Amino acid sequence: MSAIVFDGIVQGLQLSLLAVGITLIYGLGGVLNLAHGQFAVFGGVATTLLLSLGLPPIIAIPGGVGSAGLLGIVVDRTLLLPAYRFRGEERLLLGLILTLGLSFVIDGYLNYQFPEFSLNLRLPVPMVEVAGIPMRTASLAASAIALAIFAGLFAFLKLTLLGKCIRSIIENEVGAELCGIDPARTRTLIVCLAAMMAGVAGVTQGLFSTLGTEMGPEFTILGLLVAVVGGVRSINGTLAAGILLGIVNAFASHFVGAYVAYIILLSFAMATILVRPAGLLARFT
Amino acid sequence: MKKYNDLFILALILAAVPLLAGSSAYYMRLATLALVYMAWTVAFNLIFGHTKQLFLCVGALAGSAAYVTVVLTKQLALSPWLSVPLGIATAAGLGALFSYVSVLRGLGVIFLGIVTLAFSLIFHNLVLGLRQFTNGETGLVTRGLGFPALEQPLPSYYIFLAVLLAALAIYGALMRSRMGMAVRALSDDELTAELSGIDVTRYKVLAAAVASAILGLAGSLYAFYNGIVSPSVFSFVSVDIPVLIGLLLGGMRTRLGPIIGAAAFAIIEELVRPFGQLNVLVYGILLIVLFVAFREGIVVLLRRRLGLSLP
Repeated sequence: MSAIVFDGIVQGLQLSLLAVGITLIYGLGGVLNLAHGQFAVFGGVATTLLLSLGLPPIIAIPGGVGSAGLLGIVVDRTLLLPAYRFRGEERLLLGLILTLGLSFVIDGYLNYQFPEFSLNLRLPVPMVEVAGIPMRTASLAASAIALAIFAGLFAFLKLTLLGKCIRSIIENEVGAELCGIDPARTRTLIVCLAAMMAGVAGVTQGLFSTLGTEMGPEFTILGLLVAVVGGVRSINGTLAAGILLGIVNAFASHFVGAYVAYIILLSFAMATILVRPAGLLARFT
Repeated sequence: MKKYNDLFILALILAAVPLLAGSSAYYMRLATLALVYMAWTVAFNLIFGHTKQLFLCVGALAGSAAYVTVVLTKQLALSPWLSVPLGIATAAGLGALFSYVSVLRGLGVIFLGIVTLAFSLIFHNLVLGLRQFTNGETGLVTRGLGFPALEQPLPSYYIFLAVLLAALAIYGALMRSRMGMAVRALSDDELTAELSGIDVTRYKVLAAAVASAILGLAGSLYAFYNGIVSPSVFSFVSVDIPVLIGLLLGGMRTRLGPIIGAAAFAIIEELVRPFGQLNVLVYGILLIVLFVAFREGIVVLLRRRLGLSLP
């Protein structure tokens, strides 16, 4: 039983890592990024390409994650510009369609260029005992990476001046602008950070099992569900929702099978949107 | 009668297509498919164009009608004359439900988009999971189940032409009724429409229900025509994306836009077929370019450039 919970937490942390990027971009830029899973796959593919050049993993992995960040910057500075010209509902709609288009462009290109691709980083030691439960080293490593990134992100947002600027834009974009904060530059930084976190999630997927080029849409959907259940504007909410959905998914896949588990997750997210549109942890709706 | 001139001209042009393509089974199939997509795009125009409800589940609605029809025909040995209306009712009910819930909960365009996208995925996974009824990924063979006429190329073409013209006639009639005025008002500004006494909920739900019924009708008949119904036939990429691109290309909130757009999309699809996997990339670029630079569509462009008074 506790093995299932642990498994769920490990999966959930990966989901949160994807979803927190969606939350940040939505909170800061007012764009719901439908190409987020594709950022993750892009990071994984870039890592593999660097590895195949003969680079050691210690350089290839940051390189791959960095190239996902670079893609984020390019997307923010070119593709999303038309969306940023609007505010509110209009920006949301335009951003939604633009990132949907982008997700097709990335998917189409990667599937065409690397049809047989799979990233698979095997760690040498197969099993470790944690609190009496046998765990794969890969799961532990992936969770440790995710936790370290979350700790860094929280410290950055709470302690640094830039982090405070970011939170102020999430609270109120116009107000922040009046205080002399440049939303455009901060936005680019956040899209870059979010894309890098997605890239990390893509690479860690390669630690557990394999990452294929066709997995982008699945990542996007899962990230989106977690972000929505967490309340698309709250980072704490996203982290909690990721772990919750990870555990729900682990139990559901264990007892009722993968298809039904996915349907349960989707229905859960739909119900959350309908009952508490501001997210599970929101104080008011 | 003048109001229907464009419909007559359109019907004549489309009815003449088999004279050109009739000898080739391949081109007949393409032309018939184009008619199906035109009907779907007309319906989507009503939902997304006129009442601004972003339904990312066009394929799932058409597919749920198709699966209900085929499974009922197969399992209960129902006549297709009974099972097709049941399929249509399923689609219309689901469409009306999403619309009603979204208005009730005040969901913005984005949350309705997510809810309907989640429904698309639920539909897909249900079809894969309910293996004993749907035969999973492989799908169900529909040959010999439905209407015999839908198994021959030429009658099928005219059946789908009739479906399309019926959809256009319904669309035209709705737009000329009180509902047309209400819908035009609420697509400009919902709050103002509500304040001037228009029952926004009623018209949005009505638009979604009628359009979903059209989606379901074309979907059910398409399942019989296609000979097989499988999840990939009604997937997001094979229905929602073509319909969205077709509508943007032709022109939202116009009568002929969906027709011209879906036809243009069918031609584009044929052109990118040799590139295999890259077609998805082309769709992505089209979606981006159309939405950024060409939001009015071909019909508005023709109106302006050539001074035509296209409906």
